[in-house]
Amino acid sequence: MTSQENGPMPIVQAQALSKWYGQVIGLNGFALRVMPGITGIVGPNGSGKSTFFKLVLGLIKPNVGSITVLGKVPWKNADLHSSIGFCPDYESLPADSTGREYLTLIGKLHMMHGTDLSKRIQETVRLVEMDKAIDRKTGGYSKGMKQRMKIAGALLHDPKLLILDEPLSGTDPLVRKDIIDLIKRLNMDHGHDIIVSSHVLFEIERMTHSVALVYRGRAVASGDISEIRNLMDRHPHNIIIEGEGITALAKILLGQDYVVSVAFNDSKDSVTVQVSKPDVFFNGLPALIDQARCSVSKMYSLDDNLEAVFRYLVGR
Amino acid sequence: MELKRVLVGIQALTFHSTKKLLFGKKAIITVLVAIFVAAVMGYAGSVTNDPLNDGTNLMDTLILFFFMPVMAMVFGSSLIRDEIDDKSITHVATAPLDRAFSYLGYYLPLGIATAISMFAISTVGWLAFFGQHGMGSDELGLYLEFVALVVIGSFVYSSLFLAISVLFNKPILIGLFYAFIWEGYIGSLPGAIQNASVKHYLRSLGSAWVNFGDISRWDQASSAWSSALVLLGVTIFFLVLGAYLFREKELA
Repeated sequence: MTSQENGPMPIVQAQALSKWYGQVIGLNGFALRVMPGITGIVGPNGSGKSTFFKLVLGLIKPNVGSITVLGKVPWKNADLHSSIGFCPDYESLPADSTGREYLTLIGKLHMMHGTDLSKRIQETVRLVEMDKAIDRKTGGYSKGMKQRMKIAGALLHDPKLLILDEPLSGTDPLVRKDIIDLIKRLNMDHGHDIIVSSHVLFEIERMTHSVALVYRGRAVASGDISEIRNLMDRHPHNIIIEGEGITALAKILLGQDYVVSVAFNDSKDSVTVQVSKPDVFFNGLPALIDQARCSVSKMYSLDDNLEAVFRYLVGR
Repeated sequence: MELKRVLVGIQALTFHSTKKLLFGKKAIITVLVAIFVAAVMGYAGSVTNDPLNDGTNLMDTLILFFFMPVMAMVFGSSLIRDEIDDKSITHVATAPLDRAFSYLGYYLPLGIATAISMFAISTVGWLAFFGQHGMGSDELGLYLEFVALVVIGSFVYSSLFLAISVLFNKPILIGLFYAFIWEGYIGSLPGAIQNASVKHYLRSLGSAWVNFGDISRWDQASSAWSSALVLLGVTIFFLVLGAYLFREKELA
């Protein structure tokens, strides 16, 4: 995500940004440049994604460092909210209001009124496919409907920048696909710049190739997703294999150039294999098992959670 | 353009929050208080031999003295705090409206909702008591004077309790302390200490207006003009303090 000196201006630029709540550190020396388009912010729960968004929105002020959004400092800058739409990861819809009442309030807070507001509400709910449920109380919406209505609220005033905090969280696979498609459409067809967060890398991968990894309050890596994948591939991946005749397989594995180490666990029926290229390992494993004439009863990766990947990236 | 944006924003918030306060879960408290006041004043009205003086004393002690600060506390201590806690304040905090003006968009509906609620309670109490004795010009005048007092009280107490709700994380505890201990106890002590309560100045205004009951003969009343100025000053002070605190507040 490094930009040319004369290239497009970053929409968000954070430098040495730190934010702490009492003794809890939210962000620590956080540095990131977000360029126009769709950018994914990926990190495990509690990594600092939401704190970063609150700083972007000016809901909290940094203790140290600086942040600019669309070239302006966000803290106490209400005018900036005309250009930003925010879909939070928590329940924020007033349960006793209908979707239309909620959107009308949002619209009026953005100085929209009359027929212009009514028309815009119709356009927006059609875009998020909520036109049939607009007059129902939001308290009765499903999780997916609530997410769509929150996105409608963020979109209503047609902002330049959309911030979507975990928009896929808690939704079923079908809704997930719809929301991913919607996010892509909002960028490609409607020209919104979007920053979207998730703790699942492959979900972000389906929306964008531009990603920042956030871990323990820091942006530990940012750039094209393929660069991040290469970065991940440079760090050994631990896989445990269990079964009969594993000793023979271990001997063969030691001869492969992508295997860093092989170590037996508590018994000779279980080994931990460290590999540098997991994709090559998994593709070639069936042939190696045949060659070793062993039987594998169980195989699992110790690194299949994002937390482990982040630990690699920060060298812990 | 800027002024229009501010006015439209305040109007939208006022409409939304007034509706929420009057027709939300807290409406049941207004109904229960109104039933209680109707029962107490209805019974008192049935056994009194001096309706004008006894009715005035009840309107004074039960409604103005006791329920006025309590109802303002019930509505005011939680309006902003509840939205901060359940995070539904997000749509206000991310609107292009300076937080100081958003605060006004909370104060106005709070004052309006409290005033409507107290108006309803006062009306029910007055009807329950004086309905049994015939309602002439004295009774009607008394009613209007107390309605004016509770409307003024609603806006003064609202500014105070709304500021408390921004200042403290547990505003209901501070609100309870203020409403019951400070207003209820300190405000009724003899001597100058009672001047440190809103109730003293509200009753002082009432003392100048009302011609019946103990309030009309209250010898510790401050002058009507100075009371009005103090109430206005208190309202503006807490309004400005609350708006400043809300503007500076981090909504984590």
